[in-house]
Amino acid sequence: MANPVARLDIRDLACPLTWVRTSVALGRIRPGEVLEVLLREGEPLENVPRTAAEEGHLVLRLERAPGEAEGVWRAWLARRAREKEVRWP
Amino acid sequence: MALSDAEIGRFARQLLLPGLGEEGQERLRSARVRVAGGGPGTAPALLYLAAAGVGTLWIDDPDAVAPGDGAGFMFDASDVGRPRAVAAAEAVRAASGLVQADVPRPGARPTAVLVSAPTQEVSRAVAEEARLLGLPHVVVEVDGQGGAVTVVPAGAPCYACAVRPGLGAEPTPAGAATVGALAALELVLLAAGVAEEPRGRRVEVFRGTPLTRATARQPGCACAAGAVPAP
Repeated sequence: MANPVARLDIRDLACPLTWVRTSVALGRIRPGEVLEVLLREGEPLENVPRTAAEEGHLVLRLERAPGEAEGVWRAWLARRAREKEVRWP
Repeated sequence: MALSDAEIGRFARQLLLPGLGEEGQERLRSARVRVAGGGPGTAPALLYLAAAGVGTLWIDDPDAVAPGDGAGFMFDASDVGRPRAVAAAEAVRAASGLVQADVPRPGARPTAVLVSAPTQEVSRAVAEEARLLGLPHVVVEVDGQGGAVTVVPAGAPCYACAVRPGLGAEPTPAGAATVGALAALELVLLAAGVAEEPRGRRVEVFRGTPLTRATARQPGCACAAGAVPAP
């Protein structure tokens, strides 16, 4: 498993910025590269990995963040290989 | 240049739209849009373009604010008599701190044009000027039952090929707001580069119901020859 090339801390953010910042950070790395996201239990933990998967990214790892406070998790997200096709409306 | 945290916060929901993302938002920020004509759809179009993150707006309008312009929700009574482009630029800057809005300066080189003139004749002239410069443009018309928006990407059938006679009825504030906002949205799609090969189309709004059709080049129209290279 590839190691993360970037790290994002969204512990202080609320929806929708939790996913918005994650989505922008994924757009800044190359396809196949891995982003580590630090996030809180509750809404971020429920929604960010799920939305990433729905958008075609890979959730490589989802676990309690070692060395961090109780309730803090880390997710390793690999950017999708291909962008979604957008049809001109 | 990547978006700042403040820009990501400001455009958060828009950044999630399919095909837009950070790159599209950066293209909007670097866009320089000339908004020409001073028609009734101008005020809503300007505010929506600024809200969407278009970086530079040049407002090209030779007239002064008239008492009826207050219905466009951009001016108030104290603006009556002032140059409308100057008052509009102030209102746009007040609506968004992320936009540069001004009257066109000599040598200004827009990347796209929004044509919002009071009559189809003026719209034809301004749209043709944009076509000859090879600039993508969107033309907004307002009439008593709604109006129409014509989208002309570079190389697409021109506005003159697409336009149809309007009803000639007096524009309404609701119609101006509807088609002005729609025109801004169409221009945002063009300027953000959402589609690799955008096509020309015309959206006609009649009593709130939109009807969209692809535009087609009229036989013999000069637009088939493409843009004229700038001297």
